[in-house]
Amino acid sequence: MPRERAAARGPATLLLVLFLLGMCASFMALKAKTDTIVRKKVPGSSIIYIPSGKFLKYATFGYSALAADLIYLWAIQYYSTPTIDDRFDHLDHVFAIIADLDPAYLDPYETGALIATAEARDIKLAFKILDNGFAKNPKEWLLPFEAGHIAMMDLKDYDLARQYFEKCMNLPGAPDFTRRLYANALYKRGDLETSWQTWLEIYNTAPDERTKKIASNHLYQVKSAIDTNRLKDAVGKFQERAGRLPEELADLVRAGILDKLPQDLDGQDYVYDPKTGGVKAATSPWKR
Amino acid sequence: MRIWAIAGITFKEAKRDRILYLLFFFAAVAILASRVLAILTVGDRVKIIKDVGLASISIFGVLMAVLIGTSLVYKEIDKKTIFTLLSKPLHRAEFILGKFFGLVLTLLVMTAGMSLIFLVIVYLHTFRIEWTMLVAIAYIFLELVLVTAVAILFSSFSTPILSSIFSLAFYLIGHLSWGLELLIKKMSAGAGRTAAQFLYMFLPDLENFNFKTEVVHNLPIPAGIYLSSFLYGVFYTAFILALAVIIFRRRDFI
Repeated sequence: MPRERAAARGPATLLLVLFLLGMCASFMALKAKTDTIVRKKVPGSSIIYIPSGKFLKYATFGYSALAADLIYLWAIQYYSTPTIDDRFDHLDHVFAIIADLDPAYLDPYETGALIATAEARDIKLAFKILDNGFAKNPKEWLLPFEAGHIAMMDLKDYDLARQYFEKCMNLPGAPDFTRRLYANALYKRGDLETSWQTWLEIYNTAPDERTKKIASNHLYQVKSAIDTNRLKDAVGKFQERAGRLPEELADLVRAGILDKLPQDLDGQDYVYDPKTGGVKAATSPWKR
Repeated sequence: MRIWAIAGITFKEAKRDRILYLLFFFAAVAILASRVLAILTVGDRVKIIKDVGLASISIFGVLMAVLIGTSLVYKEIDKKTIFTLLSKPLHRAEFILGKFFGLVLTLLVMTAGMSLIFLVIVYLHTFRIEWTMLVAIAYIFLELVLVTAVAILFSSFSTPILSSIFSLAFYLIGHLSWGLELLIKKMSAGAGRTAAQFLYMFLPDLENFNFKTEVVHNLPIPAGIYLSSFLYGVFYTAFILALAVIIFRRRDFI
């Protein structure tokens, strides 16, 4: 009997294995078929209903940093999917959750601001994300630097840029160029006197020749702006008095409007156009 | 001496348990997978690797402590080998402590293994040995020691399934003490507030052993917290073990 049972076991095992393989092939084929059926999805719907990160932090049982990483990785994939039209609707909420879960994680602030600026075209939101990051990390120079850069390049709000660069240049670890950006923002804002003082300080404390050269070029630019503004004012006064434009800049001295004619940082005279009354520097600061 | 004999036997038994190797395998997979996950990020890849690695060591370590610890004493009772053991000149406290130290030794070996894999992965990315990670790992291990004690406590009087549930509940409560703190702040003075304050002080606060975020971000850790967290872990573990010994001493196996 045992030998008969052993003999019967062989075909039964073979049948069982064949059945197993058959079922395996069947469900794999079914899966492939099911995947071709289009199902309606609401992309990102799960993340939208996540509560505030402030409470989620405690629900992660000590793994808040890991949760922040996973949500950040998800957000990168989500926001780089161009077919999701309304993906920017909850940009603020998503990056606020990441910030609450791991406030010291800097990459999401930068990436969130980049997405807000470059893709969502919501510059106010970019500032909100970066300001939130800076509030949580007051010693990180990178965040106000990014905000200053956005203010300067995208918003063209030079006063706002000045404020941000002023914040970042005094923080530990901030590179030297942040002070130069501050000085440049002052110039673009029109605060030429303070810009001059700052560039002069940069020039006098420059650690290398390259920085000295950069500062020198900017000093030339600022002085030219100060001088040409003065000369244009003087030309305007001359025109009011004489009813015509001066023939040359020396007329301004002869008329007693100016004591002497200013010269640029290289000792050259400014160029005057008697037809239009325009005044400009003899050379470009960047071609000296 | 008898404690260490029991500990040695427990260690040998535990290292034959397949669950241990299964969990170790998944922990290793999770740590290695962090390299792949890190590719998806924009910015610092090493941060992702460190977070996933430390979380894996912690989560799988807790699972090892709970799944093996909750069956340690119960198995002896179920297989009736407890009678053989207790008929020897072996105090019940020595039995419990031996089981505890045996499992702690097992967890030490497993944690060391997981940590080695983790540190190698981090080294391959940073080309330097991140000694600060060892701080987080050391306190994760201390947390595991406490969870082990809890698992043995429940194992001394309950079935493995219930012991696992209670031990995991202990772990979750340990990471939710913030809730009590919030509640106390909102309560007005009185018996209720006093009771809540007592509960807050009495229930475990496992966040004391959580330095993962600080070491990953290189944030300063106050020097005093190292010793106070360590002593908190030691004393709480001693308290739990004492409770386990008291319960086990009074237990009748017939």
